[in-house]
Amino acid sequence: MKVGRRLVDYALLYKKIIIAALLMLTVSVAAELAGPFIAKKMIDDHILGIEAAWFETEKGKDAVSYKGKWYKREQYFNSVEEKGEEVRVLQVGREFYFIPAAISFNGERKVTDGKMIITKGEEFETYPAQKLSGDELLDFYNPEIPKIIKLLAFYFGLLVVASFFQYGQRFYLQKAANRVIQKMRDDIFQHIQKLPIRYFDNLPAGKVVARITNDTEAIRDLYVTVLSTFFTSTIYIIGIYIALFILDVKLAAICLILIPILVIWTYLYRIYASKYNHIIRSKVSDINAMINESIQGMNIIQAFSREKQTSGEFEELNGTHYKYQNKLLSLNSMTSHNLVGVLRNITFVAFIWYFGGGSIGVGSVVTLGVLYAFVDYINRLFQPVTGIVNQLANLEQALVAGERVFSLLDEDGTQVADDKMSRYQGNVSFEHVFFGYKENEYVLKDITFEANQGETVALVGHTGSGKSSIMNLLFRFYDANEGKIMIDGQDIKDIPYQTIREHMGIVLQDPYLFTGTIASNVSLDDPRISRETVEGALKAVGAEKVFKNLGKGYDEPVIEKGSTLSSGQRQLISFARALAFNPAILILDEATSSIDTETEAVIQEAMEVLKKGRTTFIIAHRLSTIKNADQILVLDRGEIVEKGNHDELMKNGGRYFQMYQLQQGSSSNLAG
Amino acid sequence: MFSIFKKLSWFFKENWKRYSVAIFLLTIVGILDVIPPKLVGNAIDDIHLGSMSWDVLSKYLWLLAGITIISYAMTYVWMYQLFGGAFLVERKLRSNYMGHLLKMTPTFFEKNRTGDLMARATNDLKAISVTAGFGVLTLIDSSVFMLTILFTMGFLISWKLTIAAILPLPIMALLMKVYGARIHKRFTEAQDSFGDLNDKVLESIAGVRVIRAYVQERADEGRFSDMTEDVYKKNIEVAKIDSLFDPTIKVLVGLSYLIGLGYGAYLVFHQSITLGQLVSFNVYLGMLIWPMFAIGELINIMQRGNASLDRVQETLDYVQDVKDPDHPQSVDTPENVSFEEVDFQYPSSQVKNLTNLKVKIGKGHTLGVVGKTGSGKTTFIKQLLREYPEGSGSLSIAGVPIKDLTLEQVRSWIGYVPQDHVLFSRTVKENILFGRHDADETDLEQAIELADFKKDLEMLPDGLSTLVGEKGVALSGGQKQRISIARALIKNPEILILDDSLSAVDAKTEAKIIENIRNEREGKTTIITTHRLSAVQHADWIIVLEDGKVVEEGVHGTLLENDGWYKEQFDRQQVEDSSLEEVGV
Repeated sequence: MKVGRRLVDYALLYKKIIIAALLMLTVSVAAELAGPFIAKKMIDDHILGIEAAWFETEKGKDAVSYKGKWYKREQYFNSVEEKGEEVRVLQVGREFYFIPAAISFNGERKVTDGKMIITKGEEFETYPAQKLSGDELLDFYNPEIPKIIKLLAFYFGLLVVASFFQYGQRFYLQKAANRVIQKMRDDIFQHIQKLPIRYFDNLPAGKVVARITNDTEAIRDLYVTVLSTFFTSTIYIIGIYIALFILDVKLAAICLILIPILVIWTYLYRIYASKYNHIIRSKVSDINAMINESIQGMNIIQAFSREKQTSGEFEELNGTHYKYQNKLLSLNSMTSHNLVGVLRNITFVAFIWYFGGGSIGVGSVVTLGVLYAFVDYINRLFQPVTGIVNQLANLEQALVAGERVFSLLDEDGTQVADDKMSRYQGNVSFEHVFFGYKENEYVLKDITFEANQGETVALVGHTGSGKSSIMNLLFRFYDANEGKIMIDGQDIKDIPYQTIREHMGIVLQDPYLFTGTIASNVSLDDPRISRETVEGALKAVGAEKVFKNLGKGYDEPVIEKGSTLSSGQRQLISFARALAFNPAILILDEATSSIDTETEAVIQEAMEVLKKGRTTFIIAHRLSTIKNADQILVLDRGEIVEKGNHDELMKNGGRYFQMYQLQQGSSSNLAG
Repeated sequence: MFSIFKKLSWFFKENWKRYSVAIFLLTIVGILDVIPPKLVGNAIDDIHLGSMSWDVLSKYLWLLAGITIISYAMTYVWMYQLFGGAFLVERKLRSNYMGHLLKMTPTFFEKNRTGDLMARATNDLKAISVTAGFGVLTLIDSSVFMLTILFTMGFLISWKLTIAAILPLPIMALLMKVYGARIHKRFTEAQDSFGDLNDKVLESIAGVRVIRAYVQERADEGRFSDMTEDVYKKNIEVAKIDSLFDPTIKVLVGLSYLIGLGYGAYLVFHQSITLGQLVSFNVYLGMLIWPMFAIGELINIMQRGNASLDRVQETLDYVQDVKDPDHPQSVDTPENVSFEEVDFQYPSSQVKNLTNLKVKIGKGHTLGVVGKTGSGKTTFIKQLLREYPEGSGSLSIAGVPIKDLTLEQVRSWIGYVPQDHVLFSRTVKENILFGRHDADETDLEQAIELADFKKDLEMLPDGLSTLVGEKGVALSGGQKQRISIARALIKNPEILILDDSLSAVDAKTEAKIIENIRNEREGKTTIITTHRLSAVQHADWIIVLEDGKVVEEGVHGTLLENDGWYKEQFDRQQVEDSSLEEVGV
């Protein structure tokens, strides 16, 4: 029950609100229980009470005058008062009759010729009876009316109070639940920031989203309905058991068997429900992922006319989701209040069997009152039980969702560091670095090189030769398996991620843009980046011309992923972003591949100025773009095969020379 | 208020049997449920009167057992049918929803954010499902049972008293209407803000590298926590109304009780009803409590379902931006493609993005499209893909205007390699086969060969079966581009479109791929947009775009003679190369 424990821990964060709500709940339940009691008292004592014994008395409070004599209900006499002759007021049909005598037993009543005959079984008795007129009857009721009104007013008052408390209870529980969910979401989101990049490589974004939003949403009910139902039901059940024990210890003890049954029930239910719920929740997450992926690739799906297949695959997820929802439903329909009904009826069967069987030939062994009360309590006992089992489904759903949430929270992460370090110079050195995305599959082998402030280092090689991996290591998106990477002589493993990245800038192959504006995508809404810096950076990359047609200039809205912009435009914005942050180490990973030569020339020019005071790494396929680099590293299958500047490498006549020749050759071939 | 049932009426009509059975059984069980306690009562009387015998006893036991079994079975059926219907509507709506998304073009996705669309497919459909299940149950409880009890009270006891007792009902209806409207509004807001939250998370996950690279973790946490606070506030607004339902009904039910008892006593005093009748009336009033709460519950649930259905319906009602023609024409082979005076403007744009475009591409020819970043190259291609409603002028294939052809036919001719390389979370093989499902091993191998992907395949851990993560994260840009190209080539399309698709591969690979395409695609049309003129030098026709207009056109040779932008770029690229050459020699 680790999940349960942690769900409780979350609730405890808001225990004051929850306890207050539960106290309110107790008051409102108590007030609610008092309601029928008051109604019963009113009916029994004050309305049906007219048929109770009356005695002749003196004129006074609560006394009623009838035909010159005064009468008062027995219960209004105090101990010292003297009671006169007993009389009765009895109803036959809708009419009331005055009987100037006590009656020896009650039964079926009939009135003929001013006489009332009361029959019970074989016995019967005859009394003189006088029919009461409307006014005379009202006289008899008169002492009750203020009492009835008082009770009604009390009842209504109680109700109003109860509803206030009920409102408070519901509101505060929802408040607490929403706070818990909010806290949970904030926690997961914070945790997400701590997870290594690796974690996101194989987990579709849609699935992560499902954990943070949908799964937490599924927990909400736990803190509202489940909690309050379990709380009130437990109170009710305890109360009813106490009453049962007072009534008859042996019978009550037998009824205790219900508790282990409930425990076993819950246990068995969870075995199946948990399985189904796991599948349902994971399908919700798959559905999310698939919708996300389909939207991202919609133009491809449509261009290749794969709508049918895609919707077919979606149907499979949707169908599985439906199938397991139905399995769970079937389980719920077999259990829940349906099975409680069966349990109740079995109890009735046992009850009739036991008492009925026992009474045959012998007659009743227990008094009638006890039997009735017992049945009444059993009936009442099953109401809170129904409440509890009906919430089992919600409870289970919350537990499964909680498990998914907590398993994400349990992923190993590294604390986001807030330490700042002053801008380093940017002297980078790799010393015998080995690295693989998977165990024992090195994509980088024995990488050693140095790059100093103000230098430009170019990485060339075929796709997949490990160029981007080197940059991933420098950025600590991943950590090297062996070897050391140093910045200004300090091992980067000793510097927290955030601290080291503070002074790095990167322009990625797939530039990612956020919803916002062009300007906000450059500054990332970082308060340190002023509007001037943003505009300066955009100007430096030649964005002025490219975006000149936009109505709002740099405040033109950018939608999700910048999908209305071309790849080249996105690269420009991403480039400007890197410049705006003025990094000590700047990494350009195929940063200008989609930008036209003219704009690229603008950028090249700007770079001449910009590379001063920082170390620049360029990854490029076009050798032409890196000819001015101070150092060129030629990579092949994860190894540095050549190192030097353009001239040196050309003189070497090695791989670089060959690559260069090929590029030249290919373009002249085509030109020819 | 009940409009959700009206909006879902197609579903209820489709499943009327299911719902009739469920409601019928639900009603029967409602009656059956009252019998066991009554039986026990009778049994107690028999015990008390000493008239219990084994015969009587077994009669009771059999009866109880019978009712238990019947009621259990019936309850199972109605629950399964009723709530099963709820799941069915959820599933159907989700299918429709996805089907609709698959018909949508970029304009729609520009207006709707992915995270919100995801929220609609999960969170909102769940709320609708609750309405179709629990909502129907409360509807039955509050109508059928309530009316039954009311009529029983009226006929058996007193209409006067019954009507007096339900006097608070109109007040309740009024209040529920007010609450309902508020819940609807606030719940919509809450769901909207949930959608925003979803969207925020999605962006943060998708852009995680940027956030990490620029140390924006804290800022992002701050923004996220602002949003959870917003979701919290919206939900509290819902809770404020939601919590009002029960207490309000409780007070009004109490008022009914009060009137029932007070007026009931009055009627007894005035000898209109008997004492016994008053007691029974009290019992019936007690039975009315749940149906009355059910009314509140019903309204609450219905308004939530309604709000969510509106959100989902809003998406479903979005009219396809690009539709098939009513009377499509059919073309066997796309002979030539011609743009005549085509003007085009993006829905979100203030200026024309293509102006007076005139281009003819003969069958089997290659068209090169070059121009600066943002000059309209991709926009040009999107006309053929029909991603947007057509602009003015005429774009025709084999002489037939493209708008008279079905989308499917046009797309069946085209093999498209987009600028950004979208791969799906599957194996490399499946991603390539996405282009043509029935392709065999030879086709596959050939496509890989043509896209020059063979050597990379050897380096992938599981070769063709390597799973590429979402968007193929584990692959380099060049590898993604080449898978993308293989995907288009395996289709062996009539028209191949390469939209700046070689930007991330090196020159050698580019040359090889271009060469392969030239050789293999004899007699088929190819359109290439690029920044590297080397990729289009061989083209039969080259157009130079600037601000959506053709500023130069011709073959490589004439364009060089023209001494315009093309020549300038060519020289620039040549200078770079030759400067290398000088150093090299």
